[in-house]
Amino acid sequence: MTAVVETEGLTKFYGKRRGLEDLDLEIRPGEVFGYLGPNGAGKTTTIRLLLDVIRPTRGRMSVLGMDPRDPAVRGRIGYLPGELALEGREKAIDYLDFLGRARGGVPRDRITALAERLDADLSVHMGKLSKGNKQKVGLIQAFMHEPEFLILDEPTGGLDPLVQQEFLAMVREVRAGGRTVLMSSHVLAEVEHVSDRVGIVRSGRLVAVEDVAALREKAVRRVELHFDAPVPREAFEDLPGVRDLRVEGAAVRCTIDGRPDALVKAAARFTVVHLVSAEPDLEEIFLTYYSENEEQEGRHARTGVQEPA
Amino acid sequence: MPALVSKSLRDYRRSLIRWAIGIGAFFTLYLSLYPNISENKEIYGAQALAKYPGALRDFMGGLEDFTSGAGYLSGVVYQLFGPMLFVVCAMILGNRAIAQPEEAGTLELTVTLPIDRRRLVFERFTALALGLLAVAAATFLLVWLLSISSDMGVPADRILAAHTGVFLLALLFGVLSLAVGAATGRKGVATAVVGVVAVGGYIVETMGKGVDWISWLRWVSPFHYYLDGRPVYEGFPVGDYLVLAGAAVVLLLTAILAFDRRDVGV
Repeated sequence: MTAVVETEGLTKFYGKRRGLEDLDLEIRPGEVFGYLGPNGAGKTTTIRLLLDVIRPTRGRMSVLGMDPRDPAVRGRIGYLPGELALEGREKAIDYLDFLGRARGGVPRDRITALAERLDADLSVHMGKLSKGNKQKVGLIQAFMHEPEFLILDEPTGGLDPLVQQEFLAMVREVRAGGRTVLMSSHVLAEVEHVSDRVGIVRSGRLVAVEDVAALREKAVRRVELHFDAPVPREAFEDLPGVRDLRVEGAAVRCTIDGRPDALVKAAARFTVVHLVSAEPDLEEIFLTYYSENEEQEGRHARTGVQEPA
Repeated sequence: MPALVSKSLRDYRRSLIRWAIGIGAFFTLYLSLYPNISENKEIYGAQALAKYPGALRDFMGGLEDFTSGAGYLSGVVYQLFGPMLFVVCAMILGNRAIAQPEEAGTLELTVTLPIDRRRLVFERFTALALGLLAVAAATFLLVWLLSISSDMGVPADRILAAHTGVFLLALLFGVLSLAVGAATGRKGVATAVVGVVAVGGYIVETMGKGVDWISWLRWVSPFHYYLDGRPVYEGFPVGDYLVLAGAAVVLLLTAILAFDRRDVGV
C-alpha cells in the first residue's frame, strides 16, 4: 500500500530562520500518527507544507499519492488549523455549509449529528463563539466530509475533558474505518492513548519515530504486590526485567522493564491479595530523547566555540 | 454560482448596502442643491467661475459652468467626490478579498479547500466586481431619477457613460488593492498603494494640465482615462474605458500569478 504521507529531505526556511530541515517522514494508511514537539519546533510548518499553504525550500513530498500542489488532494483531507480563526456575523452553520459545498457537498444532517455529539451550538455568530466552541466548529468541519486523511494541529486545545473524550472516540472511529490521522501536540499525554506511532520534532528536525506499543513495552513501571502471608525474597530474585526489588514481609515492591510476565508467574505461586501497577510514564521516555539530543547539540556548540575563527 | 463567489458576496452584503446608501446620500444631497445653484448664475455661472485662480480651476476639473445640468454633473458630482467615494469603497472590498482574511487568519482554511489558488483569486475578484456593479447600478438609477426630477436636461446615456467610468475606475482601484494584497498579504501596504495612486493620480491628471514637467505623468494616471473623455458632455470614451478595463485585467493576472507562487500567512 502506498504511504499516506511521504516526505524526503523536506526543508523549509523562512528567510534565514529554520522552520524544518531534512524531514523524512512516512505515515502509513490506517494509522494514527502523533506528531510531537514543543511549540515552534516545526509541527505546524510540516502540516502547512503538506496542505500547500506554504511551499518547501527544498525536498519532495507526496500526500495520498499526489503532489500537494494539486487542489484535488485537499478535498480528501480534513484539516484543523492550530490557530483557528473564525470571525464575523456569519452563523457557524452557514460557514460549515459553505465549506461543505466547496468540498463537493456534505449532508446537513451529518453536520448536525457531529454538532450534537460535541455539544456545539451552531446558531451563534462566529465572532461570538467561545474558544472551546470555535474548536468544536473546527473539529466538525474537519470530520464532516469523512476525509481519507485527517490532519489535526493541536486538536484538544480549549476543549473540556468530556468533549476531549468524545473527540478521542471520533479519532478511534476514523482509524477503525481504515482512515488515517496525523495529530500534533506538544504533550504526549494528549496523543498516546490513540496514536499507533509517534514522531518527535525538535528545532526543525525529526528526532525520533517510535511505535507506541513498543514504547509501552520498553517503559519502566512500578509494581506493588501484597500477599496474604510473608513471602521469601528468593522467589523474586533474578527474575528477568525485575529491578529495585524490595521484599518487606507480605509486600513486594519493584520496577519492571518491559514485560511483567516473569513477575506475574513468580507471584502466582502465592496468594495475591492486592496488586498495584502505575501507568508507565511515556513522557519520561520522551524526555530522555530530548535530553540526549540536547547534550549532542551542546557538544556541537562547544566544539563550535573551540574552532579557530 | 461557485461556492466561494456566493460566500464572498454574502460577506460583502452589509458593506455593500452601507456603501450604496452612503454614496446614494451623497448624490442625493448634491443633486438636490442643483435647482438652487442653476438659478444663481452670477455666483455659479461660467463667468463667475472664471474668476477663480487657474490652479484651483484645474484641480476642480476646470470649473466651467455649474448652472447647466451637464456642467453640474460633470464638474461637481462626477469630478472628485463621486469617484473618490467609489474608490474607497472598492479599496475596502479589495482588501477583504485576500489581505484582510490573511491577516485575520481566516484565509488558512480557505486555501486548504480543494480550490486552485488561481481560481480562488479569480472568484474573489468576481465577487468584488459583482459587488461594485451592484453599488454602481443602484446609484446610477438614483442619479438618473434625480436628474429627471430636478430637470437637468442630461440624457440618460450620458449619465450612464459617466457612471460606467466611475465603475471602471473603482474596479481598477479595487483590483489594485486585491493585487497588492495577493502579492504581499498586507492590508496596510495595499491601502497605502491605493491611497498614493488615487490621490497622486488625481493631482497629476488635473494639475498636470497646467504644469508642463508633470504633464507626461497624466498618461499613467487612472483618472486620465476617466476624466479626459468628459463622458457627461461627449458620451462613452470607448478607448479610454478600454484602457481602464485592460489595466484591471493586467492587475488581476498579476494578482493570480503572485498569489499562486507564495506562502500564505507567514
